[in-house]
Amino acid sequence: MKRKSLVSATAVFLIIAFTSIGALAITKTSTIRVDGMKCSKCSGSVEKALKATPGVEKVEISLDRKEAVVEYDDQKVTEAKLREVINATGFKAVEAKPDSQ
Amino acid sequence: MNKKIIIAALFLFVPVVAFGQDSLPPQLTIKDINGGYIRLSQYRGKVVLVNFWATWCPPCRAEIPDLIRLQRDYRSRGLQVIGITYPPQKLVDVRRFARGAKVNYPIGLGNKKTKLLFTPNETLPMTIVIGTDGRIRDIIEGILLPEEFEQKIKPLLK
Repeated sequence: MKRKSLVSATAVFLIIAFTSIGALAITKTSTIRVDGMKCSKCSGSVEKALKATPGVEKVEISLDRKEAVVEYDDQKVTEAKLREVINATGFKAVEAKPDSQ
Repeated sequence: MNKKIIIAALFLFVPVVAFGQDSLPPQLTIKDINGGYIRLSQYRGKVVLVNFWATWCPPCRAEIPDLIRLQRDYRSRGLQVIGITYPPQKLVDVRRFARGAKVNYPIGLGNKKTKLLFTPNETLPMTIVIGTDGRIRDIIEGILLPEEFEQKIKPLLK
């Protein structure tokens, strides 16, 4: 009986612990202006490189607004790293505006 | 009736095979930027990366130092990079860029017909991976990422 209670208590503790860890992982959205991104044939590289970055969940590229809207897990990747990834594709990430937290 | 269906299916299937993986690459001979010719057949037995690029394309320019490094580091393991400009560009512009970047692999001047020999896809850059057996192993759209080289190209090398 005592052992059963201990197992139940452990299970409850683990559920709470995992739920808390999940709650800490916040999906952040950043809109990053990408200078020089005007060619539809070559802008795919920005999306490809961002999507291959661990922690990035969603990427939307707008050629009209010359920007990348990136949803990411800020526990795994930073906004600065996202700009680095964009710069490595030959374009220039000029600023990042946090939309939500 | 069945014969007609089979013939129709073959017509639908052929273009997919022609552009798909594991198909034989075309017999390609194009002018290079130094006045010579690049013949794809002369690289049979090597792992060939046919890289379509343009001097005005930022990701194409960004990946050229990586292609230079790969050519240098993996030449002894049978890697051969070939650059083909697309869409058509002036020889003088391509030559100036290639010399400035110290490109260590052949560069040819391509056009739409050259590109269509491999794929109708218009993405730039675009890299066609040809195995030592002469068959197209992969078509990499966009900039070649390090993990793509590790997973898709390195295992084909000696």
